[in-house]
Amino acid sequence: MSKLDRGLIDVIAFTALIAFATAPAGGGAQVNDERAHHRQKDHSDHRMVIDADGMVMNYNENELPRDCAQLGEDVTFDVHVGVRYARRGAAFGFDLNEWQVPPCARVAVTLINDDSVRHQWMVHGLPRYLYPQGMFHLEANGGSRKTGKFIVPSDDRTYLVHCDMAHHMEKGLKGQLKVGSGSGDLPSVPGITGARRPDRYL
Amino acid sequence: MSQTNQHRHQLPGRVVGLGWLVVMLITLSIALTVLIPPVWLPPSLQQLRYSWLGEPDFVELPANQPRELNLPELPCDPIIAARGEAREIEGLQIMRSPSCNPDHPADVAAFVKGTNNISAATLMETLLTVDAVDKRDDLDGDGDPDRIHIRLEVVELNGKSPEMSQTVPRFEIAPGIAPGFWVFAPKTRGMSTTNFGSLEANRLLRMPSPVIRVEAGDEISITLENTHYLPHTIHLHGVDHPFRDASGEGNDGVPGVSERMVFPGEARTYEFKARQTGTMFYHCHVQPQVHVMMGLNGMLVVEENRPDNWLQTLNVGAGHVRYPSVASREAYDREYDLHYFDVDKDLNDLIKEYNDPRLIAKATNRGYNATQRTAEYYLLNGRSFPFTLLESAVVVDTGEHIKLRVLNGGLEPVSLHTHGHKVRITHYDGVEQNPLAQITRDVVFLSSAQRLDLLLDTKNDGLHSYGSGIWLLHDHREQAVTTDGINPGGDIGVIVYEDYLAANGWPRFFGDMRLYFSPDYYAGRIPVWSASDPEGRFGEPENQPVTTVRLALLGLVGFLLFGTLVILSRRLVRSVKAR
Repeated sequence: MSKLDRGLIDVIAFTALIAFATAPAGGGAQVNDERAHHRQKDHSDHRMVIDADGMVMNYNENELPRDCAQLGEDVTFDVHVGVRYARRGAAFGFDLNEWQVPPCARVAVTLINDDSVRHQWMVHGLPRYLYPQGMFHLEANGGSRKTGKFIVPSDDRTYLVHCDMAHHMEKGLKGQLKVGSGSGDLPSVPGITGARRPDRYL
Repeated sequence: MSQTNQHRHQLPGRVVGLGWLVVMLITLSIALTVLIPPVWLPPSLQQLRYSWLGEPDFVELPANQPRELNLPELPCDPIIAARGEAREIEGLQIMRSPSCNPDHPADVAAFVKGTNNISAATLMETLLTVDAVDKRDDLDGDGDPDRIHIRLEVVELNGKSPEMSQTVPRFEIAPGIAPGFWVFAPKTRGMSTTNFGSLEANRLLRMPSPVIRVEAGDEISITLENTHYLPHTIHLHGVDHPFRDASGEGNDGVPGVSERMVFPGEARTYEFKARQTGTMFYHCHVQPQVHVMMGLNGMLVVEENRPDNWLQTLNVGAGHVRYPSVASREAYDREYDLHYFDVDKDLNDLIKEYNDPRLIAKATNRGYNATQRTAEYYLLNGRSFPFTLLESAVVVDTGEHIKLRVLNGGLEPVSLHTHGHKVRITHYDGVEQNPLAQITRDVVFLSSAQRLDLLLDTKNDGLHSYGSGIWLLHDHREQAVTTDGINPGGDIGVIVYEDYLAANGWPRFFGDMRLYFSPDYYAGRIPVWSASDPEGRFGEPENQPVTTVRLALLGLVGFLLFGTLVILSRRLVRSVKAR
């Protein structure tokens, strides 16, 4: 009875990817997902892998950003995530909150989830012509790991990395990826910058 | 104390004689009486003033405040409404669901077939993970899967962000109103918001916690994957379940009594094989006065075991069941899940104040006092009027039998009134009432946690139904039809006949409802009859300010009078001391 049961499902279909990338809206006054779907124009063929362990979105190991004449260094690192890495006053944590890579590097990241619930390592702000919605995304189920590759542009820039599950960024899962020397620090990155709207301890 | 000091103290008395002071006091008092605006005085003093000084002058009363009534567009998008058309997905006939915001048919198909049994394309249309609802193994050989594994996460809505003033992810119950909530949610993937540029929660993350539908006799596992920052459990209220599961692990969800709490980042599986059918309840049992009322409660329906009985395992947002059970299809034309709830914003808005879980635990468990609770918001299926009309209208046609499953997940009692109809109570708390003793009435009562199954018969005989129309379906406790005191709001819903329904799923009301989609309306900034009172007979008058000169004079006289009184009293005190 199972078409999609147990094991890896590779979904290369562009339509499916876009349907996900323009994730549908909630109810009430704000329903507009199908409209967004119709508007979506940045057609590019990227790999999305979804399986029992999680998903990789906008996997890219070959296509260079326009500003990169040639592929830079290959960089590989692991990211651990879980409650055991949480700082005081947070619920969850990454083992590190900042990663730095050279311009045009091909980055291979493995997200290792030490919790028993889902977590994500999601990068925002990448060029949209290459990464739909400007995202590269790893998502690992509890107790599993996910690896993906993406190629960063050449300019010095700091990219937001977070877990986009409801309140996971607010409760500790925020970081920054610096390409080259980066473009400064983002707000409320645990261990690096303070909260703009801190709690009061009185 | 030196002589000089004593001398200085006596100085005012020597400069101004007592007689002069009394004259000043009387003069100033009269001036004050004249200058003080009559409306500031109590009625008896006003009368006295007019009898002394004559009738007041005629003054034209203030005009209405100029107000441009910007009526928002009805948020009823035909593209979204088109999701409600009947269609076939994954070999399933998904029922038509006329509504402005019907359930997404791909979600319904995934919940019926199981997220592990659908095509990749359909799964992509949902926001679900592969293991969100896993269905397999036809154990009794009757054509449907009997091992059902449901995975639920715990999601915060409208909580504090350490970076910006807006709360995230946003879920509005009514225009401009977004109390904090914690909900059980299906296991989703990707972004929690609709897209990176939006703060709106995606369509599966919402109030109320989803309705769970299972078949009697099936082996049900519900894994609580605690994605939240506080501990939680699941208690299966009214559902036949063992105190301990097969492995000896606690299964009743009560901390300390059956088990330890499921901590953040942990997961626990609750197991049951229900022998009895009925409309039941599930909720978190950790600090229930806080956690249940933050939204961690939902309806759990145990359906009869029938051949080829593929159930819509989750009904996100409750409301219309687009894929009813075999037993439901036999006896009823349509089925609706109605989840009533009430919110005390003093509790629910605490998560907008703090980000640190320790501070949230302290404020909710020890700062908030549930014995002093008052409710401001009343919800039907997670929304208040007018949003209830976008997705929770009970759509009927003449001559139908409709099943309504009603849960009161809140703390306030519900007196549910069906305009134009009398309904029959067939089940109390999931147990069938003796058919000979079943009661038909137009107000049904549910105390906290109670469930009723109702038969809504639309036979136009003057008893069951008075005929076609748009009939209100609302809690008759009148505070419950307000949103923080502003009517119409709260848990107002409707029973609407097909011939009163527009193509986009919006009822063809007599009046214009757009005013109620304005956040200003629920902020109390718009006179409530604005839409039906173009002449402004009940508009909001301008303030009639007291003139500046009068205020200045009043201030001066008041100051002098105060000074005179101070000097007089010091004189009196001294003379008493001298004696």
